[in-house]
Amino acid sequence: MPVHPLQRDPESAPFFDGTAEGRLLIRRSPSTGEHLPPAAQTGSDGSTDLEWVEASGRGRIATWAAVHRKPDAEGRTHPVVIAIVELAEGPWLHARIVRAAPEEVRSGREVAVEFERPEGGEAIPVFALA
Amino acid sequence: MDVPDVAIAGLGMTEMGKVHDRSAAQFGVDAIRLAAADAGMPVAEIDGLLVNPGISGGIDLGIQRALGLRDLGFAAQVQAYGSSAGAMVAQASLAIAAGMATAVACVFADAPLKPQASTGAAYADPARRVRPGFAGLAAAGGALGPNAGYALAARRHMDTYGTTSEQLGAIAVSTREWARLNPLAQMRDPITVADHQNSRWIVEPLHLLDCCLVSNGGVAVLVTAGPKARDLRRPAVHVHGWGQGHPGRTDRAGSDFGLVTGAARSGRAAMRMAGVRPEQIGVREIYDCYTYTTLVTLEDYGFCAKGEGGALVADGALGPGGALPTNTGGGQLSGYYMWGMTPLSEAIVQARGQAGPRQVERNDLVLVSGNGGVLDHHSTLVLSPAPRT
Repeated sequence: MPVHPLQRDPESAPFFDGTAEGRLLIRRSPSTGEHLPPAAQTGSDGSTDLEWVEASGRGRIATWAAVHRKPDAEGRTHPVVIAIVELAEGPWLHARIVRAAPEEVRSGREVAVEFERPEGGEAIPVFALA
Repeated sequence: MDVPDVAIAGLGMTEMGKVHDRSAAQFGVDAIRLAAADAGMPVAEIDGLLVNPGISGGIDLGIQRALGLRDLGFAAQVQAYGSSAGAMVAQASLAIAAGMATAVACVFADAPLKPQASTGAAYADPARRVRPGFAGLAAAGGALGPNAGYALAARRHMDTYGTTSEQLGAIAVSTREWARLNPLAQMRDPITVADHQNSRWIVEPLHLLDCCLVSNGGVAVLVTAGPKARDLRRPAVHVHGWGQGHPGRTDRAGSDFGLVTGAARSGRAAMRMAGVRPEQIGVREIYDCYTYTTLVTLEDYGFCAKGEGGALVADGALGPGGALPTNTGGGQLSGYYMWGMTPLSEAIVQARGQAGPRQVERNDLVLVSGNGGVLDHHSTLVLSPAPRT
């Protein structure tokens, strides 16, 4: 599939510093202890002093889809599997499922994080079937 | 607050589809002129203007100058994506009730289709979707454009409630049945559930026939005080209720993404304001960017219990002659894609009783939905040919 390089902005810099080192960072509210997605800025109690913590990198597929291209001369559509992954800590991440055909993927399947480093962009988390 | 006596007095629709001879701004100007002519009212009497630009931009409040409008008492650009049409009618109604204006033109216009580019490219342009930082993370990971987001939502509904692709196909079929009765609809060849199943994957589990069209064009409505509308040329279409729902996202365990949408709050609010229950609604015009959107919206509006949308739609209930006439002009799936103006325009035609062979007899209450983002924004209108009593 075509790779679309992603650039960081000031708010996402700590997250992409993490992915560059092969670490998946999420947010945690010190007051409630809850884990939140990387983009979160507010805890469920309204707290704004969220800290960055490293996630285990394990999770399960909450829902998934397969992006197909128009069939080529042989009828192949080169599907790319994408998913919302529910991390073990609770947050959801939109990410690609690598090295998996649609037939192998089911909601609920366990996955583990890896990182892709597209040329000209930040390293982004992807997941593989565990 | 008391519900103000407001009505839709004019409807203007330009040519729609693969129309490449005009800018979005010109589509908007043309649509407003057509709406005024439809109402039998001079353009110069418009004293309020709401502009909803589509995805391609190119239209803003500057169209006031092209229209020659002077001394407006109310004007704004509105962007609540697919929920904008209902939001504009509600804002226009409030402005009229507050005495800011007497005749508010609400317009959507867009020209995302380019002569040489594919339809899909209009909504999946990496330059637009891969924004810097977290906003671009899903797109960079492969979820480029709305097809991916709705596919993820639809899959969750299917996994949770057992909704099937064939049930989604039944929506595509019934919507096409209506389109066959509408000369303005772009897709008018009959289809079957088998055709739906055999149509190529766009983003699995969504087939081609689960997905809406993309169209160039413009649609405008003219909202006025009720007495003024009743004096004008066309049958007045009264606004009995409105609502909105913007659920936000938790993006963590326990999220109801794909299962419950802003339609639940929005529909409740609009029907409460109108003083009606779902079973009193005769015509449903639902924002159908995807077949799945029709299904989940009908559930959230209370036409069946949550999770039973698949059974509701499977036997042709939504089609001509069915118990729940829905998307009677062919919707966005088969008719024309003018964001929330697609359901709103057909609702006006039905409420006026001017839908010809597709006219629904029981048209005293028409429900209109709008849905924007990936189930992020929702608006609802309850319309009626009769004034509120």
